[in-house]
Amino acid sequence: MGAKTKETKEKQSAKELSKQLTDAYLGDARTAHEQGKYVAYTTAVSPVELFVAHDIIPVYPENHAAACLTKRMGTELSLATEQKGYTSHLCAYARSDLGYRITGKSAKGGIPDPDFLLACNAQCFTLTKWFEVLSRKYQAPLFVFDTPQWISDPGARREIVRYCVRQLRELIAALEGLTGKKYDYDRLAEVMAYSRDASFFYRKFLDMAAYKPSPISIFDALIHMAITVYLRGTPQCVDYYRTLCAEVQAKADQGIGAVENEEFRLYWENLPVWFKFRDHFNLLKSYGATILTSLYVHAWSYDFDTAKDPLVTLAENYVSVFSNCTLEERAKMALDLFQRYSLNGSLMFVNRSCKAISFAVYTLKAILAEKTGTPALIFESDMGDPRFYSETQIRTRMEAFLETLQRNKAQGA
Amino acid sequence: MKPKALTRLVEIANDPYGCLAGLRKQKQVIGSTLADCPEELIHAAGLHPFLILGTNEPIRHSAALLPDNACSLARSNLELVIGCQGNFFDGFVLAQVCDTTQHLADIWKRKLPHHYFENFLAPRQVARPSARAWYAEECRRLRAALGRYTGREITDEDLWRSFRLYNENRALLRRLYAIKEEAPALMTNREFFDAVKVTFFMDKEEHNCLLKEVVQWAEQEKDRRTDGDGYVKVIMAGIVVEPPSLYDMVDEVRGTIVGDTLCTASRYIYHDVEVEGDPAEALADRHMRKPFFSPINADVERVYTDLLTLYRRKGAAAIVYCHIKYCESQDYDLPDIKAHMREEGIPFLELETEYQSTHLSQMQTRVQAFCESVIKKGAT
Repeated sequence: MGAKTKETKEKQSAKELSKQLTDAYLGDARTAHEQGKYVAYTTAVSPVELFVAHDIIPVYPENHAAACLTKRMGTELSLATEQKGYTSHLCAYARSDLGYRITGKSAKGGIPDPDFLLACNAQCFTLTKWFEVLSRKYQAPLFVFDTPQWISDPGARREIVRYCVRQLRELIAALEGLTGKKYDYDRLAEVMAYSRDASFFYRKFLDMAAYKPSPISIFDALIHMAITVYLRGTPQCVDYYRTLCAEVQAKADQGIGAVENEEFRLYWENLPVWFKFRDHFNLLKSYGATILTSLYVHAWSYDFDTAKDPLVTLAENYVSVFSNCTLEERAKMALDLFQRYSLNGSLMFVNRSCKAISFAVYTLKAILAEKTGTPALIFESDMGDPRFYSETQIRTRMEAFLETLQRNKAQGA
Repeated sequence: MKPKALTRLVEIANDPYGCLAGLRKQKQVIGSTLADCPEELIHAAGLHPFLILGTNEPIRHSAALLPDNACSLARSNLELVIGCQGNFFDGFVLAQVCDTTQHLADIWKRKLPHHYFENFLAPRQVARPSARAWYAEECRRLRAALGRYTGREITDEDLWRSFRLYNENRALLRRLYAIKEEAPALMTNREFFDAVKVTFFMDKEEHNCLLKEVVQWAEQEKDRRTDGDGYVKVIMAGIVVEPPSLYDMVDEVRGTIVGDTLCTASRYIYHDVEVEGDPAEALADRHMRKPFFSPINADVERVYTDLLTLYRRKGAAAIVYCHIKYCESQDYDLPDIKAHMREEGIPFLELETEYQSTHLSQMQTRVQAFCESVIKKGAT
């Protein structure tokens, strides 16, 4: 990289970098077949490092779907999917993605068709079934990376990691079969180092929510997490989060908060309601409240140990993502965030789209309320389909919750 | 005249949890969930395994713990466990096959902290060698865990005894199924599937005794029955058939179920466990050989090719698919299955049901209309 380019890059903000990296990534993905490269669809939490090291371009139907849902295309795309016989109970990502494939409508100009699919079920069972549909449609092979629930028994955990490592070897053999190219383990070591560093800076960025006032809200985390999802394992990803951390640190040093007069620091359970993103931020802001974090955004806070066999550290990190942990462990993870970020309330979203996360919410709420003594609001809706979002009811409940926080604070004072 | 043993099996099927109360006086009773849990291990530990198959009682307790878009089997199982009927159970070994079952296991563990609890982490892929190895490894872990719980090591001899008993049970049920196919007038669909259902609850030895009587009677009677014509051969597809009155509806239109893909029938009764070698490997071999058993398969077309093969092999006239509402696996598979069957010109009826379904007349009309149209096409 020339000195001039480097200088230009250093002057770029994280926001500019994000746009540049996203455009370059999508451009690469769309022209992959022209470049003689393979495209692999993969789930957001999956050992994508194995693709990067083998020059296969990973593409994330979830990310594409989230972009469509944020642009409020959820209902239109879902209706197209439902007309093909799928039910409206399915995950909105899947409905939106299948709708895109029927209508060709996209918020991002579409994504290329897959040559290979990898479904890691640490996130959910749904993704595997959705990818089965895509595998049938494109006649492309599907590899299921099966991650048994990360139960607390140490002996079981050792065996789970062994099983996962064995599967990663099977995956590598499948990729060699796809490309006809021998796998380069030295290249994998390089990629792992980039992933380790990017994850370090991403986690550091998220942890800046511990500052008072917090320079970031969860809405910042949701915007900035995209790069680590699809560019893990690249030097650009490391640079991006290093730049972002420097920017956010500067804000923290100046005492600039994500909201003015920060009074309430909240925890969010589940994925966001993508199409209500800004509305929620503004409503909370008007009460001096902000959501700082969730287990969801921490799903990419990996801690790769590059001193280990790369397949072992990949297995350990991907199998232990919060959505694959027991409820007890998940509660411990959330409690850790409560403590580290000084949180004083929770908004707990029961998301019709996401059974993997939502079916634990009622029990999780009971545990968090018992252990932290902080109030929590549960509401049901859908992350991407406005037909299941009851505007007035949810707004009223959020307002009542925020007023309760205010009243509690006044009484406490 | 039908034998008393058959009547007894039907009685138990109508009050499945009732028989557990008596058994609990002799043994600890351990529940498991559908399809993947190797019950033989629980039996060999000197415990009584049974399959938690929900309840048709109204949902009262579980609504506060699971949203209404959880499948009714899960909600119903949760209701059963945390409601008063939970008093029949001493513990659980829960196989996790989907997001819902994973959460169910966590919720039960928290709600019933004094009950024995063990996960069985069945592989959720079946195409590669790692799946078989993992299943065997989980069997070894479960064997050790059950041994610790009972305070008695499970010997290989214990396991061979259990394997033989379960193999005998499966063989009797397979034989009865074959006779039913040959002589459809001999027993109703409801009677046959009730006889299978009770295997999930009863003491296996007692079940085998009753089955032997029924099979003996069926062997004697099958050649005497000359009224087998006019039945429409049907494949019953799905996971479970609930409510069981769906079987009655098929009976009413002279449909005879000659094959199925149900967890509560073929997926349970087909294939035995080898009684030699390493017991864990033997259980893994059986798991890998079971037909239609995985909701996930790298060979993604098997969701319909397996069904099509069964349909053709059995010379069936139609497929009835029992779709449990909110079952994600079925929700994703069904549009492609239906499209494929349409392309093949196969009469296919999807019935969407729930455990607490009470308004069945509409469904009955659909079954009647469907069968009439099939019969009009010339099926016999």
